[in-house]
Amino acid sequence: MTKTSITSTERRTHGLLRLARTVTVVLVALASGLAAPSAHAMTESEAGARAVISETVDEVLAVLRDKSKPTEERIRSLEQIVYGRFDLYVMSRLVLARNWKRFSEEQKKQYVEEFKQYLTNTYGNRIERYDQQEVEIVGEREEPRGDVVVKTKILGGEFEGALVDYRLRKQGSDWRVIDVVIEGISMVSNYRDQFKSIVSSGGPELLLKKLKEKNAAGMVID
Amino acid sequence: MGRWGDCTRRMRLAGLAVIAAALTVGVACAPIPGPRHPSDPWERMNRGTFRFNEGLDRWVIEPVAKGMDFVLPDPVERSISRFFDNSKIPIHFGNALLQLKFESAFEDLARFVLNSTIGFAGFFDPAIEAGLEAHHEDFGQTLGYWGVPARPYLVLPVFGPSSPRDTVGLAADTFSTVYPWFIPIYASFSIGVGQRLNWRSLALDQIAAEREAALDYYVAVRNAYLSYRENLVRDQKEDVTDDEDLYYFD
Repeated sequence: MTKTSITSTERRTHGLLRLARTVTVVLVALASGLAAPSAHAMTESEAGARAVISETVDEVLAVLRDKSKPTEERIRSLEQIVYGRFDLYVMSRLVLARNWKRFSEEQKKQYVEEFKQYLTNTYGNRIERYDQQEVEIVGEREEPRGDVVVKTKILGGEFEGALVDYRLRKQGSDWRVIDVVIEGISMVSNYRDQFKSIVSSGGPELLLKKLKEKNAAGMVID
Repeated sequence: MGRWGDCTRRMRLAGLAVIAAALTVGVACAPIPGPRHPSDPWERMNRGTFRFNEGLDRWVIEPVAKGMDFVLPDPVERSISRFFDNSKIPIHFGNALLQLKFESAFEDLARFVLNSTIGFAGFFDPAIEAGLEAHHEDFGQTLGYWGVPARPYLVLPVFGPSSPRDTVGLAADTFSTVYPWFIPIYASFSIGVGQRLNWRSLALDQIAAEREAALDYYVAVRNAYLSYRENLVRDQKEDVTDDEDLYYFD
């Protein structure tokens, strides 16, 4: 009884959807008259950076989709992909900003290692939340000093339409990601603010201690 | 009638209690570590209010939201969330107009018409399938568009991260929902509570993960709020700005 009513509702929704699409074609045609899309020729840098993001997205999605492998193994594969495409050294250094100079050589080395582990734990445990989302590259822009921002959008799932920008910098002949900006929230900037308050109250030692504590607690897979 | 009268009175009392508690916590809180953040001159008070909100969330909101999450399947919650989003489109439409974003306003209007009718009062979103995207323009953003800055940061009791600008925006949007449609203020509050709980139960995992991961959760939330709000205001201005301070060592 309930089942039939759901199917008939669904069928009705589908018919109406088709109508909606027809109506929309007209609406969109009207809307596009209001603003002509501005096409821009891609620079060589933009094309290079875009290709890196496009490959990375494909590889990451392939790992996320393959739910036959155990979680641990998939996290290791993701690490391989991410470590190869992200410049974690530059990221770690940008996060510390002026405080970088306050760290001794040994502390710098420790910090870069701990921060890398921290990011792996933080983002690795979110792997199980993947729910068939797709990623679309929506644009790219070369910045005045040569970095390139590649803009992407998430399709499907609970974050439908969320905008994720990747900032890339050329290191030798390779483009490497140095920041991820989700809906305007920059990872580098967010960690910078957090770490700044810690370093200024307890010096490099306190930051290293806090990172080590977090990392020792390990990864909670939810 | 009398029942509603009681209800509003009780709500007013609850409101006073909340503000009093927030102030107590705010005054009693420990000195802040490190130097002041330029956008957060009221950090001492804000940290107090933030702690109060976290307590409220932990003891009241999260448990109720978990209950909801247990009872209602996620697709139902997402549907409810779409309904709330749809009911706000007239506000978004008005604010898009105030920001001279006619294309967004037009798209919002089309979304509202499609979703309110064949989307069953907004519980479904056929408009997005049809390629009509949502624009969340609120009055805080309108003020931002006309030059009012998103800072200083201000944590409101119960409502959470905000700023003087966005507090005015929230009040304006709330009252412009209430009066033209003759919705009584207490009904508007209950809708607000329902929406908040529904949103919270959809975000259970994310918030737990952020709390768990952050080294300083207060700072993480402040940075996220300010960046997010600034980004929303900046949206259609495509001027190239290289963030020197953020991305270069020199």
